[in-house]
Amino acid sequence: MTMTQDMLKARGELENKLRELLGIPVFLIEMDIFALPCGCSGVTINTRGLQLDDLEIFEEHILKYLTETVTSLEIDPSFLFVRLIPGTAEIASVNARMLCSNCYMDFSRGSGKQPRPDIYILRFDRRE
Amino acid sequence: MVSMKLYVPHVGHLEGLEDLLSGSDDIYAVYMAGSPDYIGTGRTNLSAPKLEEIAIQTEYAHDRGVKMEIVLNSSCMGGQQLTPEGYRTIDWYFDKLNGIGIDSITVADPFFVEMLAKDYDMDVVVSVLSFVDSPQKAEFYEQLGATTIVIDPAVNRQFDKLEAIRDAVSCDLKLLVNEACLYQCPFRYAHFNFFSHANGPGPKPNVLDDYYYFKCLSLRINDPQQLIKSPWIRPEDLKEYRHITDTFKIGGRTQFINWILDAVDAYANESYEGNLMDLLDSVKDLKDNFFIPNSELSGAIEQWKRCDKVCHKCGYCKRLAEKVIQIYSQDEDGRCTIPLGSSGDRT
Repeated sequence: MTMTQDMLKARGELENKLRELLGIPVFLIEMDIFALPCGCSGVTINTRGLQLDDLEIFEEHILKYLTETVTSLEIDPSFLFVRLIPGTAEIASVNARMLCSNCYMDFSRGSGKQPRPDIYILRFDRRE
Repeated sequence: MVSMKLYVPHVGHLEGLEDLLSGSDDIYAVYMAGSPDYIGTGRTNLSAPKLEEIAIQTEYAHDRGVKMEIVLNSSCMGGQQLTPEGYRTIDWYFDKLNGIGIDSITVADPFFVEMLAKDYDMDVVVSVLSFVDSPQKAEFYEQLGATTIVIDPAVNRQFDKLEAIRDAVSCDLKLLVNEACLYQCPFRYAHFNFFSHANGPGPKPNVLDDYYYFKCLSLRINDPQQLIKSPWIRPEDLKEYRHITDTFKIGGRTQFINWILDAVDAYANESYEGNLMDLLDSVKDLKDNFFIPNSELSGAIEQWKRCDKVCHKCGYCKRLAEKVIQIYSQDEDGRCTIPLGSSGDRT
């Protein structure tokens, strides 16, 4: 399969799993692979219908599904997070990011799950 | 090191404040936006703290000897503040903030300056979005009741203006050191008005893209001298401003705590080794594209002190840009920098 075929399959499977888990119409409206000039790379999955409450209640399951999805795209699941629409509980995107050394510092300095009000960390593997 | 008062951005939630204040002893005050339901703010904002959350965070800051400032610097309220309903709502919100023990409120609308000065104990700070760039305008705001004026960064390198403002008013002055907006930006008013509605009580515009921000970045990419011309103040140059004020504000409410603490460290120590782009707020999306070695800008302030701002005749910033700015690129060994000219023909 080509990379885009892999992505199409992964997007659809994750969307189905989330709908089945939550029992609500979650939409994954776009999945994008990215590579940044700083050296970070990963995947952004834009969502509609997913809320922070859903995540907090089903975090363990959602983390498992997301890990499986990004691993299937050969992305290291060492940093998984969601972005919230500022000031709301609406989740704008679910993300996996393989951090460059500079951006790693932005996240490693804090200790909690919300280093910024618009970011909620699902998984962050600290480096040696 | 001479003592200074550093006003530091806070992203808006308790966890962020805990990380921020545990990371530095050089913070005099933190500032954050309030709830967009009442006045809003003229910048992008990542949080909407409720009054209870503001109260908890204010107490936390005060326990650590740090002042709390709330930024309500919407540059456009669409006239709602002058309606009876609007006035009552805002007055109620000011009253609650006053009760919480907020130290100062930053506002852009002269109406709010007068309202706060007349009715409340909180210090009244005139925002950069009031664009105070002359002694005359500073006098107007002082007469309205301003405790502090944050001077329009457009005159950060016009020392005759800064000195005239200093002479004209007795209120405190504050300088925003790293906003790094375009010098004489044509989008400034429109962009802040857009933000004010996007981050205010509503109705919120459902825009496709932030035209002004895209143009802002595009102008710098096509003409990198704009990166030099924008009126940031290097950490090393703070001493040149000591006769104006000892109070400096770091911009960056949408940055990560690590970034904010690095900026605090640089400005508190008046020294920074590295890419100046890492300290600048409004151009954060270009920080991995351009490399401006801060140390190579040493001495430029001497030119700017006597600059008459006729760029097309002077050309100093253009020459400086060509000399010091490099572009990040990729080679077989990884990331590298190349001279400005080698990435294509620029105007």
